[in-house]
Amino acid sequence: MITKNIIDSYIEKIPPSPKTLRATLQLLNMGELTKASKVAQTDPALSSYLKSLVNRPIYGFKNEVADISQIFGILGVSGSQQAVYNYMISLLSPSKWKLFKLKSTTFHELQAKLSRRWKDILEHLKIDNKDIESAITLLPASIIVSEALFCEKIEDINLLRSVNPIDLNTVLMRLCNVDLFDICEQISQKWDMPNQIAEIIQAASGVKPSQDETTNLLGKWMHLLLFYELSQPLFIEAGLNDFIDFQVDYVGDIYDDFSELLEIG
Amino acid sequence: MRALVKNGIGIFSPQGFLDGNNNSSFLSLEDIEATTKLNVDMILVSLKKVVFFNRNGLDAFVKMFIKVRSEKHITVGFCDYDTKKFTAISKFYKNDLNFSLFASQEIAELFASNYKNQNKNVLLYNEDKSQRSAMAIELHDNGHNPIIAQSKSEFREKSTNANAYDIIIENSFLGQMGQNIATRVTGNAIIYTVSSFLDAEIGSTFNIAYHNNSLNVGFRLFIFDTYKVISMNVHALNFFSKLSSSGAEYNATICFVGMSFDKTPKAFKETLEDAGIMFFEQMDDILQNKELLEELGASSAAAISNKRHLNKVMVTELPNFIDATVATIEMMTNSKASKEAVKIDEIKIPDITDKIASSIGFYGDMDGMVILVFPKDIAKKACELLIGEETDDVEQILDTLAELVNIVGGKIKTLLSDQKISVNITLPRTYPNVDSLLEIAEKRKGVQVDLTFNNDKFLFFLTR
Repeated sequence: MITKNIIDSYIEKIPPSPKTLRATLQLLNMGELTKASKVAQTDPALSSYLKSLVNRPIYGFKNEVADISQIFGILGVSGSQQAVYNYMISLLSPSKWKLFKLKSTTFHELQAKLSRRWKDILEHLKIDNKDIESAITLLPASIIVSEALFCEKIEDINLLRSVNPIDLNTVLMRLCNVDLFDICEQISQKWDMPNQIAEIIQAASGVKPSQDETTNLLGKWMHLLLFYELSQPLFIEAGLNDFIDFQVDYVGDIYDDFSELLEIG
Repeated sequence: MRALVKNGIGIFSPQGFLDGNNNSSFLSLEDIEATTKLNVDMILVSLKKVVFFNRNGLDAFVKMFIKVRSEKHITVGFCDYDTKKFTAISKFYKNDLNFSLFASQEIAELFASNYKNQNKNVLLYNEDKSQRSAMAIELHDNGHNPIIAQSKSEFREKSTNANAYDIIIENSFLGQMGQNIATRVTGNAIIYTVSSFLDAEIGSTFNIAYHNNSLNVGFRLFIFDTYKVISMNVHALNFFSKLSSSGAEYNATICFVGMSFDKTPKAFKETLEDAGIMFFEQMDDILQNKELLEELGASSAAAISNKRHLNKVMVTELPNFIDATVATIEMMTNSKASKEAVKIDEIKIPDITDKIASSIGFYGDMDGMVILVFPKDIAKKACELLIGEETDDVEQILDTLAELVNIVGGKIKTLLSDQKISVNITLPRTYPNVDSLLEIAEKRKGVQVDLTFNNDKFLFFLTR
């Protein structure tokens, strides 16, 4: 169904990150917000994405924010880096989704919700680190990878899952000994994303706890946040609720804290 | 959302958070109805991977449960929860708990019509005395040995000796139980469960097409679990007499187990016996007696008297059957297949050592049977994706092979439906060796396709 060669070929086909993005990220890394925004403005697609992202209700701005330098100013270095990474990941998404009932706007909505809430979580955990803030951007890549690898195998997957409640991550692992999150890690390496991002994402899979206490804690919060969002009607109807297995036990010790922060109950 | 159906239980497994906003996105009445069509006698929502729920989140499910139960007479409820979740549900529905609660799927199976796991020593406790009794009766009826703890302290004390029991039931509740005609396969016998009053309605509730096709696939022993039958009238008597007579040409046997004639005329028993129906008091009297099972045809199937030939439609659709099979095995083994030879003849298996087989029937706009003969190694490899690890346990391989053949059947159904040909599929049958397969398939004419997967020979045979 899916072989290691198919995965390798998929990763091979991922283009290097565009020049403008690399330049923007480098400037953000140096804390040069104004210069970074000027470079970002030269890429109309990036500008349009950033405007659409920050003007979503989850960001809570009363008036429309249209100017890129204003957007970078509001988001700060960490938030801007996160937004640019979100754009990079969105470049991987297909023009037409087949496996999941998604549209680009729905996918961007998921990115925005995850990013905004991740920021709240990091504030709650008193973590101020721009790479950790950007880690959340790699998480939806697992959805894009699932779509890319399984979109031509929908019937097979449906039949397989009619006799065995097996998630896509496990299917891939059993077939190729590589899982969705390993592929996400390879994407992050190809795009020179900081290593810490991939480490947190691996832990956020829920099946590969990290030996590092902080990374593991962040993995738990991210795993629970993902399923909080994937329990929203929009994403359930898109077929995202069970694309990977929710590891309830893994997040058991942070659940109360999470539900208090997000005012669930 | 799709349910996973196993052992007659359809289980929906939402993940994450469950509230009034999203419950209808998780599950619709159409999802439940699609599942009830698969002959389930229980529909449950698993709360194992639900980290949060509130009353609103459960309410929509409960409404659907009640509607489906009243229409289909099946057991409905929730399963897979811990004490905290059980307490919450009990609190939400304090005076209105009219669905079932099973702390685990394993516990639910004890109450389903599934004799595969019978004879379990079950320790049970419920605060409510009538619940304790109801559970014990159901468990006893299903062939288990219930041990009731009369108080919480007794339960705690007995629970400490966990090794004495196969399963301990706590935090469970029996709502109204289902009363449909459930079907399941034990070994190679098909067991139908009937209950309460049997009258003319049996003619419409019994799936005769399914039964006939099970005969065609090679099932020869049909057991009616009648423990819960209170009485039957002359219409039901005629139905069963005809059913038995029509199965005679296949050498099929129909047995009634646990039938009481307290409220049914004794003469009915003689009439049914004259029609060839056999009576047993306990399910074990048949299922644990291997010689008797063999005699009744559950381990072997005599050749069918009316041999039928392939027809034009079937030959035209042959590529679909082969594609479905090859695609499934390729998917499961992650290897490529190549076709070696195609011939129309009786099935011929040159080397019968280390081979296992399975078959699945289909019926509807066209009918027939697909037989697959695997070298054990291919079967093992194909099953690894479903099991998740290598295994040499033949029983586990055969069980998983049945699931695999189910996938093939499902794929055939889809491919034919694209050609506007509507078929249903029977339960899959497995054969631990070629000899047991040949007892049913020998001398049948069909299309044989020899395939190779990574140098291993694999045989596909399509017949009627």
